[in-house]
Amino acid sequence: MNKKIKLRVNGKKHELEVPTSRLLIDCLRYDLGLTGTKEGCSVGVCGACAVLMDGEMISACLTLAVMADGHDITTVEGLAKNGELNPVQKSFIQYGGFQCGICTPGQVIAATALLAENPRPNEDEIKDWMMGNLCRCTGYYKIIESIQKAHQFVK
Amino acid sequence: MNKSNAYKVIGRPEPRSDGLEKVTGKAIYTVDVALPGMAHAKIMRSPYPHARIVRVDCRQAERLPGVYAVITKEDQRGLGMFGAAYKDQTIVAVDKARYVGDPVAAVAAVDEATAEEALALIDIDYEELPAVSSLEEALAPGAVLVHDFASSGGELMGQRYETPKEFAGTNLCYRFSYAKGDVGEAFKKADQVFEDTFTFPRVQHFSMEPHATVAQVEEDRITMWAGTQEPFTLREHLADIFKVPLNKIRIIVPYVGGGYGGKLAVKTEPLAAALSWKAKRPVRLVHTVEESFKTVTRHPARVRIKTGVTRDGKLLARECLIHMETGAYADAGPRVTQKAGYRSLGPYRIPHTKTDAYTVYTNTVPAGAYRGFGTLQVTWAYESQMDIIAGKLGLDPLEFRLKNLLKKGELYTPGDTPVDCDLEEGLLRAAKAIGWGERSERNARGKGLACCMKDGGGTYKVSSAAVKMNSDGSVVLLTGTVEVGQGARTALSQIVAEELGVPFDRVMVAQLDTDVTPYDVNTNASSSTVVMGLSVQRAARDLKRQLLRHASKLLKAKPDQLRLEGGRVHGGNHSSLSLPELMHKVFLSRAGEIVGRGAYQDIKSKKAALGSPTTFWEISWGAAEVEVDADTGEIKLVKYVSLADVGKAIHPVMCEGQDEGGVMNAIGHTLLEEMIYKDGQLLNPNLVDYRVPSFTHLPKDFETILVENQNGPGPFGAKGTGEGGLLPVASAIGNSVYNAVGVRLYDLPLTPEKVWRALQAKKTA
Repeated sequence: MNKKIKLRVNGKKHELEVPTSRLLIDCLRYDLGLTGTKEGCSVGVCGACAVLMDGEMISACLTLAVMADGHDITTVEGLAKNGELNPVQKSFIQYGGFQCGICTPGQVIAATALLAENPRPNEDEIKDWMMGNLCRCTGYYKIIESIQKAHQFVK
Repeated sequence: MNKSNAYKVIGRPEPRSDGLEKVTGKAIYTVDVALPGMAHAKIMRSPYPHARIVRVDCRQAERLPGVYAVITKEDQRGLGMFGAAYKDQTIVAVDKARYVGDPVAAVAAVDEATAEEALALIDIDYEELPAVSSLEEALAPGAVLVHDFASSGGELMGQRYETPKEFAGTNLCYRFSYAKGDVGEAFKKADQVFEDTFTFPRVQHFSMEPHATVAQVEEDRITMWAGTQEPFTLREHLADIFKVPLNKIRIIVPYVGGGYGGKLAVKTEPLAAALSWKAKRPVRLVHTVEESFKTVTRHPARVRIKTGVTRDGKLLARECLIHMETGAYADAGPRVTQKAGYRSLGPYRIPHTKTDAYTVYTNTVPAGAYRGFGTLQVTWAYESQMDIIAGKLGLDPLEFRLKNLLKKGELYTPGDTPVDCDLEEGLLRAAKAIGWGERSERNARGKGLACCMKDGGGTYKVSSAAVKMNSDGSVVLLTGTVEVGQGARTALSQIVAEELGVPFDRVMVAQLDTDVTPYDVNTNASSSTVVMGLSVQRAARDLKRQLLRHASKLLKAKPDQLRLEGGRVHGGNHSSLSLPELMHKVFLSRAGEIVGRGAYQDIKSKKAALGSPTTFWEISWGAAEVEVDADTGEIKLVKYVSLADVGKAIHPVMCEGQDEGGVMNAIGHTLLEEMIYKDGQLLNPNLVDYRVPSFTHLPKDFETILVENQNGPGPFGAKGTGEGGLLPVASAIGNSVYNAVGVRLYDLPLTPEKVWRALQAKKTA
C-alpha cells in the first residue's frame, strides 16, 4: 500500500508517494538521493543512521517514512548553512574526530543534538549521550575531544 | 635547530584531506554507488553447517517478474576457483555447503525486495552431513572432512603455501614450523619449565560499511566499484576466475567504511560479477551485518606455550604448539598461521625455540586477515605466561621482562632485520606512566604490563606511485593505497608537499582506479606509511629532479643550487620562478604536465625465516590498571597507557587515532566480543547479541605515547603503525586482573562470568 507524504528535509519541502513499509533511511537515501545518512546495523544500535526529526534525534533505520509525514527532517547534508560548516563539523575536522567516516554522519548529527541541549557538556555527559553511536575506528577519544571543543567554533 | 622542526608539512596536524567530504555526508562509499539500470542482488545461504547439495531448482525464481538472473552451482562450470591463499572457493557452493552461511545461490532483481522474494522460490534439496564446529571436533581421529581433496596450495604475496601430503585425510591444511637451537636439551637444563594453554575467541571486524560491490560486466570487460583493501590483488583473482587478462578488469575504490583486514583478498565480488554477466546489467551486492559476520572472522586459536627458565629469571627455551581455526575455507589462514607461528617468540632473547603452527578447517565461517594478523592470539599467550613465570620465580614482572628483552640491533631470528628499537626504553616509559611499583589506591585494583612486537610492513611488498604536476602548479598524487580511514591520503600528501616545497592543500589524491593508478599489492600490515610512503617520496623526488632540470636552464644555475620552497623554484642571486611560470616556460603554453614515478619492492632472502626480511619491527607496549568487582566479576578499566614506536609521526593526531582505535578494538576481544556457535549455528551474528566497545567501555583514563626516534625505514624516519596498539591489550589487562584479585584467566574474552567463576574457584580452593 502506498501513501502520499509531505515532509521538509534540510529546509526543502518534498511531496512523495511511498509504500507504507518504506523505511525513512531508504526514503532519504534512495528516493531523495541523500546518501550521507548511513545504514550500519539496521537494528537501531549503531547510530550511523541518526537524523533529526523536529530537532529530536531518531534512528532512520527504525522509522517508517510515513512517520515523517508533516515533519521537519535534518540530515548530515543539512547541517552546513550557506556553505559554512556547523561548529561540530569544524571541530571534527580540526581534532580528528573521524577515520573511515562511515559513522561520522551519525556522530555529527548526535553531537549537534547534544550541543543544542547542552552547549558545554563534560566528558561523562558526552559518553552518556553518545553511547548509541558506535565507531570501530577512532577509539572514541578524538570524538569526545571534538565535541568538547566544538564551542570554540560558535560565533 | 632540531632537524624535525625544519619540516614545513611533516609532523604537523594538517586538516585531513577527506575531512570536508566526511563531515558533510558527501563522501561516496561503495554502498552509495548507483548506476543506470542497476539490479540488486541477494544471496541464498546454506542453513546447514555441512550438507551435500543434491538438487537445485530455480525455475520458479527465474520466472518471478523483476528477476534478471539467478546463479546456482551450474554457473560455476568453466569458472576458476579462488581464495586468498588456496583456491578452495567457488562463487556458490557446488558439491556441498560447508558452513551455515555458505552461499548456495544468488539472485539479481529490480530491487532487493524482489530479490529476497525470489530466494524464497529457489528449491534446494540438501543431504545433511555430520559437521565439525570446533578445533577439538575437527582434530579428533576419524573426524568428518570439511574438504575431501587431498591437498591444496596457492601463491600469496610471492610465497607458495601448500598442504603437506601427510595431512591427506585430516582437516589440517597448513603447517608452519620454525626451530632454533635444541629445545629438548634446553628444557632438561632449565630450572623450571612452565606449560600453559591459552585460547582466543572468534571475533568479527564489524566494519560499519558491510562488504559491498557494484559490478558491471560488458562483453569481456569487468568494471567494479568495490569496498576492498586490495584492488590490484582482487583484479588478479577475477582474472583467474573469469579467465580474462588483467587489462580487462577495472576496479574503482570509493571511500571504504572500515576494513581492519576484513576487506582483503576476495569475498563475494566474483559472485557480483557473475550476476552482472548473467543479468546483462550492473549489479549491486551489499551484505547485511549478518552476512558480513558469515563472510570472514579473526582466527579462533589454541596456543600451548612451554617455556623453560633459569632460577635467576633468564629465558632458556620456548616451544609453541598453535592451532588456528580457519573455518570452511582457508582464506588467508595459512599466512595468518605462518605469522602467528613466527611471532610467538615475543620480544625476548630465547636461545632455543621450536614452533609448530597448524591451520585447521572446520564447518564454520572462514577466518582471514584481521588487524594484527595472527599476532593477537600469541601475544595473549606469551605475555600472560611471562607474568605467570615472574610470579613463580618471585620476580617483579617488569624486572623479569627487562632481563630478557632483545636489545636494539640484536637478531630476532638469523637472517631477519635486526631489532630497530630500544624495547627497554619503551617498557620503562609504560611502567612509569601507569605508576608501576606504586600501590593502587583501592583494594581489588591491580596493574599489568605487556610488551609485544611483530614484523611490520607486510612480508614482500611490491608498490609504486606517481606524482603529477599540472600546468598551474597544482599536484595530483596517484597511489594504490586504499583510504580505509587511516588517513593515508593525508599522510601521503604531506610527504609529497614536503618534498616539492608546496603547501599541503596544493596536493590532491586521485580516485583509486586500477586502470590508471600505479600498482600496489595491498593496504595492510601497517605498511602504507613506509612502503607506499617510500614509493610516493621517490615519485615526488623524481618529479622534483625533472622540475629542477628544467629550471636550471631557465635560471642559469646548476640543479643542485636550486631549491623548491613556497611553491617556487629558488636559484642563486634572488632569482626565482613560480611553479606555474616554470610549467608555462617548459610547455610554452598553458598546457602539459610533468610526471614523477617511484616504486618500492622488498628484497627476497633465503636466509630469512619468512623468505624476506621484515621491512621494520612494529613494537608496542601497554600498561593497564583495572578494578575488579568481586560480586559481579566485572572488570573496570581505570587506566590504560599505550606506547607506539612510530619512528617519526608524519601526522601525530592520526598516529594517536590509530593507536586509540587499535586499543579500543582490542578491548572488544579482551572483555566483550565472541561469536558463539551451537550445533553448527552461529547464535549472535548481529549487533544486539554481539557487543562491540562503545563510548561506555572507554578506560576512565587513557594515554597514548608516540615514541619518535626517527628509527624507521620510511620517509623522514617513519615506521608503520595501526596494528601495534592492539597487541598488548589483552595480556596487560589479564595481568592486571591477576595483580588485582589473584586469578589467572586463560580464555578470552574476560567476561564477568568467567572472572566471577574464577574468584569462586579460588575461594573454595
